[in-house]
Amino acid sequence: MSEAAAEARQGRVEFTGSRHELLGIIVRGYLLMIPTIGLYRFWQTTWKRRFYWQNTVIDGEPLEYTGTPAQLLIGFFFALAFFLPIYVALFTLSMQDTDLVLLGYLAIGAAIWFLSGYAIYRARDFRLARTLWRGIRFDQKGNAWAYALRRFLWSIVVVLTLGIAYPWMASSLWRYRYRHTWYGNRKFEIGGNWKAFAGPYFGALALNLLSIGGTVFWIGSAHDFMLVGTTPIPGPVGLLACLGSVVVLAFTLAWYRTGTASRMLSTVTIGEAALTVRIGPGALFSQFVLYVLGVAGLLVVLGLTALAAIGAIYAAAASGGQSPDAAAVMAIFQSGTINVALLIVVYLVILGAFGLVAELTLSFGWWSLLARGATISNPDSLHSVRSGGEDRAVIGEGLADALNVGAY
Amino acid sequence: MQFTARYQDGLIAETRDVRAVIDLAADPVALAIVDPQSREEIDRWPAAQTYLLHTRAMELRIGSRTRPAGARLAVSGIEEMRNALAVLPSLAKQQRRDGWAQVRLLTLATAALASVIVAYLFGVPLLADRLVELVPPGWETKIGDTAAAQIERSLTDGEGFVLCEPDRNSVANRAIARFADAAFDGLGSPFRPEVAVVRTDIPNAFALPGGRAYYFSALLQASRTPDEFAGVLAHELGHVYYRHGMESLIASSATGLLVGFVLGDMTGLSVAGIIGSTLIDNRFSRRAETQADTFAAETARRLGFQPSGLIDLLERVAKDDEFSKALSLFSSHPLTEERRRALEALSTPIADAKPAFTAAEWSAIRDMCPPPPPPPLPKPVTPGAPAP
Repeated sequence: MSEAAAEARQGRVEFTGSRHELLGIIVRGYLLMIPTIGLYRFWQTTWKRRFYWQNTVIDGEPLEYTGTPAQLLIGFFFALAFFLPIYVALFTLSMQDTDLVLLGYLAIGAAIWFLSGYAIYRARDFRLARTLWRGIRFDQKGNAWAYALRRFLWSIVVVLTLGIAYPWMASSLWRYRYRHTWYGNRKFEIGGNWKAFAGPYFGALALNLLSIGGTVFWIGSAHDFMLVGTTPIPGPVGLLACLGSVVVLAFTLAWYRTGTASRMLSTVTIGEAALTVRIGPGALFSQFVLYVLGVAGLLVVLGLTALAAIGAIYAAAASGGQSPDAAAVMAIFQSGTINVALLIVVYLVILGAFGLVAELTLSFGWWSLLARGATISNPDSLHSVRSGGEDRAVIGEGLADALNVGAY
Repeated sequence: MQFTARYQDGLIAETRDVRAVIDLAADPVALAIVDPQSREEIDRWPAAQTYLLHTRAMELRIGSRTRPAGARLAVSGIEEMRNALAVLPSLAKQQRRDGWAQVRLLTLATAALASVIVAYLFGVPLLADRLVELVPPGWETKIGDTAAAQIERSLTDGEGFVLCEPDRNSVANRAIARFADAAFDGLGSPFRPEVAVVRTDIPNAFALPGGRAYYFSALLQASRTPDEFAGVLAHELGHVYYRHGMESLIASSATGLLVGFVLGDMTGLSVAGIIGSTLIDNRFSRRAETQADTFAAETARRLGFQPSGLIDLLERVAKDDEFSKALSLFSSHPLTEERRRALEALSTPIADAKPAFTAAEWSAIRDMCPPPPPPPLPKPVTPGAPAP
């Protein structure tokens, strides 16, 4: 890099979104999903992306998400075409009774794993092709099938080496993704390799083996457990050690994610401009803690609501004048329809509430940490980027949706 | 009539500060984009072809349909935003129009999905009937064999069922086969029912695709009259006749697909997916139970025995408690009270009703699976006996 570039201005990345704005989007989405039998999820996803994109301000100019809900809806129909043969195969398999059945399930599992690689790539393509900055579109080129194959073959190697090959797999996939990423007519480059992953990966692995192994060993050797039925329940010290292991797990996870993201993204360059990302593990760990607190708070709120509901039912049963008894309370639940409706409502409320907490802490936290931790050196060099041709029809998001591998 | 904005032409990644001036004299009315210092014109957008884009608070982003997709005028600050909307009144109108277009699309999609669901709920019982006729009986028999093997393994921990009387020519087995053949006589079913009485403590009986029916010894021991046994047997034969096993296989796979579509999780592994599928499938199986009851009543009429034994036996085995009532939407069998009423409505009183089995046959059937002998009583302790 020339001396002029080294002296060049640093471009800042800011994130201007707030959690309560996101909360509004999610709550409105949940409410609208009920009358639309779930179809509003495509609109919900679009609104969430608009929120994340337009609040990410790079060197003074926000990103713009240009995708529409209708594209997601159509993409989902296309995904059905992929999924139907798998579905038929599973149906046929479930009616066979030979030793080949297990092999058949394995083959379908492998096919889904392979397809999810394709889906991940196409979903990234979909999002990048709908991302504008300074009026110029990003793009993901390369071949989604080649990516899926690469991911699939690496997975086999990782399984065969009992996980040791994972850093090589991760860096290989990162490099494929970034080397086929374009901003207008300018290509991304990435310099990071397996070394960026090896430290955090093996470090995290070793620490977890140590903490979990140590806990199990201590509980076993000190006989610090009671048998409840046939299930061993660790004693007070053992319980503390288990809790410690969970904390170690969460912290090493934060360390791994922030460490690898910082190292890999800091080797990304777009022509003369270079990206630098600095995120400390503590920042992500605090988001994890926030998530646990949010879930705990939520459980308390849900529990209190359920108690209030039971109290109301008890009062309703008692209002007949006679003292309430179990039969009177049960009488309210006589109708199967009410029960089923209750069950479904409770399930949806719990699922929705947990999704909400995860989105507000984990997803929001990770995005804003990434944005705020990033700087771009020599952003002025990007002024000469030209638009890279018109948008192709990319209907690649649906499969990711159907296989549930999409993010953001 | 002008406002300040940041301008991107959508061709090159450059942003420049500009003044946007409305030129009402031009035809069509145009938005002139000029350099704020030199007043030199950079571009000229037809005013009617501009549109608003979604963006963060306190900002407007304006695009043009006649320019590259990325061409933008970005307006920040409340004052300038007000100016821009005053200059381009069509923007707000067009934004409302777009909003309504989204509402229409969403409503249309929801209506389409709702009609698919309704059509499914009412159409699949009919459709499954027709589809089942397309399945070759040979294929169904093979599926039944597979299902039998799977059920045997799961119910007996892989040990397999123990037949009460393996000898097919025993008095009891021949009596049961005679009954089954008589029930199917003249109906033109592609299957010849095969009934196996199996030793287990679960009071149950069920039919599988392809003509197999199982009768568990615990249920047999609970039968007090030949008609009770015959009623339940005829009910299971009804499942065989209507090919309900195959029908429910087809229906449940279609249900999984539909529920997966609604939830967006095509793997169908989420709890909501499982609950949804169970609910819908039970709707179908309750209908199948009613059909099988009707078949049992028909058979009873033809062979001349009392069909109400079916309900007597089921009632004795599964008492309707409050809990099972509450969960009745989840259970595959309609409540026995309901069924009794339906059966009584179906069965015409038979003048010369005679038991479905002769006394000799019935005693042979009842003795097929004698209950295991009770555990030996502890030896009474006689005082004074020498301690061992």
